[in-house]
Amino acid sequence: MDKREYITPKGDEGIYCIDTASWRTFKPVMDKAKCIECGLCSVYCPVNSIHKVEGKYSISLEYCKGCGICSNECPKKAIDMVMEGEE
Amino acid sequence: MCLVNEIGGVITVNYIEYLDTQEDLVSPGISACQGCAAELILRTTLKIMGRNTVLAIPPGCMAGAGCVGWNFDSGVKVPVHIPLLDNTASLLTGVKKVYEADGRDINVVAVAGDGATSDCGFQSMSAAAERGENIIYICYDNEGYMNTGFQRSGTTTMGSSTSTTPAGKEGHGKEQQKKDIPMIMAMHNAAYVATLSPSHMSDFVKKMEKAKSIKHGFVYLHILSPCPTGWRFDGKRSIEVARKAVETNFFPLFEVEDGRYTLNVVNKNPKPVTELMGMMKKFSHLSPETIGEVQKNVNRRYRLLTTLSEMKNDMEG
Amino acid sequence: MGKVIAITGNTAAAKGAALARPKVIAAYPITPQSSVVEHLAQLAADGELDTKMVQVESEHSAMSVVQGAVMAGGRAFTATSAQGLALMYEPYFRMSTLRLPMVMAIAGREMTSPETIWGGQQDTISVRDAGWIQIYVENNQEILDMVLQGYRLAENKDILIPVNICYDGFYLSHLIEGVNVPGQEEVDGFLPEYKQTHVIFDPEMPMAVDPMTPGELLMEYRKSHLEAMQRALNVLEDVDREFAAKFGRSYGGAVEEYKCGDADIILVTMGSMSGTAKEAIDIKRNEGIRVGLMKVRMMRPFPRKKIAEVLEGKRAYAVVDRNVCFGWNSGALYMEVKAAESDLESRVTSFPVIGGLGGADISLDHFLSVIDELDSCEKGGKSHECVWLMK
Repeated sequence: MDKREYITPKGDEGIYCIDTASWRTFKPVMDKAKCIECGLCSVYCPVNSIHKVEGKYSISLEYCKGCGICSNECPKKAIDMVMEGEE
Repeated sequence: MCLVNEIGGVITVNYIEYLDTQEDLVSPGISACQGCAAELILRTTLKIMGRNTVLAIPPGCMAGAGCVGWNFDSGVKVPVHIPLLDNTASLLTGVKKVYEADGRDINVVAVAGDGATSDCGFQSMSAAAERGENIIYICYDNEGYMNTGFQRSGTTTMGSSTSTTPAGKEGHGKEQQKKDIPMIMAMHNAAYVATLSPSHMSDFVKKMEKAKSIKHGFVYLHILSPCPTGWRFDGKRSIEVARKAVETNFFPLFEVEDGRYTLNVVNKNPKPVTELMGMMKKFSHLSPETIGEVQKNVNRRYRLLTTLSEMKNDMEG
Repeated sequence: MGKVIAITGNTAAAKGAALARPKVIAAYPITPQSSVVEHLAQLAADGELDTKMVQVESEHSAMSVVQGAVMAGGRAFTATSAQGLALMYEPYFRMSTLRLPMVMAIAGREMTSPETIWGGQQDTISVRDAGWIQIYVENNQEILDMVLQGYRLAENKDILIPVNICYDGFYLSHLIEGVNVPGQEEVDGFLPEYKQTHVIFDPEMPMAVDPMTPGELLMEYRKSHLEAMQRALNVLEDVDREFAAKFGRSYGGAVEEYKCGDADIILVTMGSMSGTAKEAIDIKRNEGIRVGLMKVRMMRPFPRKKIAEVLEGKRAYAVVDRNVCFGWNSGALYMEVKAAESDLESRVTSFPVIGGLGGADISLDHFLSVIDELDSCEKGGKSHECVWLMK
């Protein structure tokens, strides 16, 4: 049946995705020396971009909007919000 | 928290590990504001609800952010539908009835803003609760019609400067108190009613799991969803704002199961609401009198909850 | 072969709905429809109807519940009148534009104000442009039969548009007539279980049902909806033929002609008044006036071509409306018939007639006088802006 005939998409594999990484002014940078692997940053990240990679929490910048919640919530102040383009 | 691993063994994990391993069923890129608590709420909700779920998201922030789809694409990996602003609970009732007729156990979930819940769609939700429909109705309360430009709703706190109750020479923000939806829903003989905050995630996950397990009646979850754009504070403080709301008793965390009240977070020395209000610009014009009114309402409500939770042993009738 | 029993129009609608085996029924009472949902509730309570009945709190929710049900793939039914239909307008429009098939029975009632509860066509007329198929019936047998035909029509894969079966409040809803109620097995043969394929709300096949849609795409959906409605004109006749073969009763298509063949003048009616009109036709025929009756059964889609065909070569026609078309000094059916008539090479004289509003009677005498006016109009007498059948 043609996709266009009725008011639901027939191709249900498609997920609508916006490049939210391009919104960033600041990006989170994690200092692993200070990090105690508590995982709170992962729990609070609204875009679900912080996960354990090889046993250590790590931030993916693929969709990160730079909101700064991870940095604000980190009990050890291990995450800094750094201007995009700087290190 | 218990998970069943691949070989069928039951292992216990804490909620942090649990959330890390659960599938995120929302599109990775949705246009919610930076620091939007509702986005966190939706993702966490679906992590717990899982794939055996159908979702209704009425017009509002989460719908506008792209979760209900665009053109031929969807915004989430479970079936989703955008009901009318005023009929979410009724629509889901019809869906649930067909699954029941077919003998299928599927999570039927609404994720609706406070506008759809407390105002427009209140009637249909109230009736669904009264009929005891087995749907999980989740309200993310960002205190206004945020998606359309921060107009006030029934759950907007007194004094808030919104686009329809702006502060000005003659105007002092919303003149009425916040409508207490969780308590109203508790009076509907619902199977389970609870308030949740994204700042208290362990409590959040427990309550969401509980909601998912209820098969005999209506479930209502009211979740505080701080809105950096509408309430005017820096997005990075969203969780901090939610935490302060619980600490000041502005947003008490409680649950009601089959008529029994439990206060989950007891504040021996609650912080004054001024600490919460000082965090956001929507209250910056408030007079001490209005702040006093809000504080009185917060105190009164907390006292009521404490009394109800102490009644636990008397509830047998 | 069915059993003949004496029942009201509402009971006939309920029995038709029950025979269709709906998975979900939404029930909300409103005069004059209430006994439809009462009868269904009694059938369910007596174990004669296996369905999920939802006692909703408003008609807006009634339409919302059935919308969710059909979205999830089940057959659904509800009924309403006037204020209820107006209240459910928001999800009503969505039901058709989401292309979700169902049958809704409407015991037609006048719209308030003035404060009223009695019969009229204003309610269904007011929502004729919300994308539903609308069929107006003449008697209780037709109510039951068209509920069954309605599901076949709505669920046809080339149509997929919900159907209104409209019958006059009190005049049919509360009138007792002999109705042949078919047996369940017979109906199962005519109306198998509904299997939806174009909208699926099921975790087994995740789909976004009705995503945000840009204008260019929306226009394609509207175009396909309009085209499907046009197809319904013919599909109605196909369904009717199948129904006749199985149950021995036929109603034809969108238009019924009664003694139109050699007529000079035509009376156009819709709904239960047609019975009285036919009596009047017979009386006037005996007096030598060559008058015929064109009964419009299907208001939406509007049988434009067929109506023009019937009026071709006629000298004059009058349309009796049990409703008003605000903004035109006539009823709505008159306006639509006139539009159809304009397709003809030569014009046909006509005038609108309005009567029977708010439950008032359209009597035999009313029809006789209308035919007299039509006759004198045709013979070169004064035409009319609008004839009102007042007391």
